[in-house]
Amino acid sequence: MLELLVMLVCGCILISGVLAVRLPNLMTAMVSSGLASLLAAVSYVLLAAPDVAMAEAAIGSGLATLIFLYAIRRTGGADAGREKE
Amino acid sequence: MADFIVRIAAVLIFFSIVFGALRLIIGKTLMDRVVAIDMLTVVSIALVTLYAHLSGRFVYIDVALVYGLLSFLAVLAIARFLEKGP
Repeated sequence: MLELLVMLVCGCILISGVLAVRLPNLMTAMVSSGLASLLAAVSYVLLAAPDVAMAEAAIGSGLATLIFLYAIRRTGGADAGREKE
Repeated sequence: MADFIVRIAAVLIFFSIVFGALRLIIGKTLMDRVVAIDMLTVVSIALVTLYAHLSGRFVYIDVALVYGLLSFLAVLAIARFLEKGP
């Protein structure tokens, strides 16, 4: 039962990583990368490393998303810098 | 009885992750994806708590606590960005 959940979490990390690279809008790519680090924190817990998971949840999912949001706001909107597909 | 309830919770968490990821993949607008990541945050907190119950190590509940305290910040910042514009 739990192995299935671990495999599902790892598959969702893969999907959100691919989406963060491929999406044309920068804001949605930022949301997807935040989801990748969020699920990475969950998989750290499932692999019995709770302190690493706490650091990942604080830094990767919270602080990195805020810094990306600030950078996107300062560099001209969500559509700048990435080509339309 | 408790084992049955835990099993139902695991199945519900499984389908919540599946449908949240589907919403993230096929979501047309940014709003859909923000709501999807918010729902997946709550579901992952539930998953961590369920695993803390299953494994019997209650250190993991601290992780869920920190996570619940910090996870609304990103969604709040994105919502403020969407309200005010770039």
